[in-house]
Amino acid sequence: MFVINCPYCGERDQQEFKAGGEAHIERPKQPTELSDDEWAEYLFMRKNIKGIQYERWNHAHGCRKWFNMIRDTSNDEIKAIYKMGEKPPSI
Amino acid sequence: MLSYNQVTNSEINKNGVSIKEIAPIMKLNLRGKTREFFTNVGKNLNMILPTEANTSSSSDKLTAIWLSPDEWMIVSNETNSKETNTYELNDILFNNISKTSLGAVTDVTDQFVQLEIKGDKIYELFSSGCPFNFNLFREKKGSTTQTLLNHIDVIIHNKDKDYVNLFVRRSFAKHLWEWMEDSSSRL
Repeated sequence: MFVINCPYCGERDQQEFKAGGEAHIERPKQPTELSDDEWAEYLFMRKNIKGIQYERWNHAHGCRKWFNMIRDTSNDEIKAIYKMGEKPPSI
Repeated sequence: MLSYNQVTNSEINKNGVSIKEIAPIMKLNLRGKTREFFTNVGKNLNMILPTEANTSSSSDKLTAIWLSPDEWMIVSNETNSKETNTYELNDILFNNISKTSLGAVTDVTDQFVQLEIKGDKIYELFSSGCPFNFNLFREKKGSTTQTLLNHIDVIIHNKDKDYVNLFVRRSFAKHLWEWMEDSSSRL
């Protein structure tokens, strides 16, 4: 269990949030020109590293807003939280 | 309100906690972002929507509860007539906001059940099934929160010292009621 600082509501328990997978995955500009492998890479392949990961989270049981989080997956330390559409801060 | 079924006709009165359902209460959900939306709503409600997180604002007839940066719930302070399902305010807001595409107005009167919870041990009751830290909440009249109580989504509004209004979705209301009955007996 850890506490997440929602950029809209303030500090709340992790229980109120849902993880939304890896952040900053850009949709290819011309999907029709991609090979099946490249499309699968975009669609399915996600990082699952031990260390710092960029993730999307949703305050599902609160304000229902999405935001981004930089989290160290080895110890759940939250490095930064920033709103959707913002550039990730340097860490 | 027509064909409205109360969740329960009984009240809970145990160990410094008393709970009862208040009905019929008008509840409207408002969504919008633009400045025109704010001025239009302000004019029609005669009050300003709270923009600070986890707060509310009240006039003598209505309370506006902050839910999200672009979402509010408008609640009537007094109970309404049992004979009708339409509300003048809903029609006015719908015509001025939904129809002009400034935002969205949804009647959630029947979606939410309002429970009035009073007593000096209500925060002990909440703590037995809620991850939210009520330390600041209980000190500040008018503060609101959306959180989980016994894994059920609830909206809690601090009316006064040891007096809160709790909104829960109708389908979960009976379950939450039974949990509160059980939990308050063991405080």
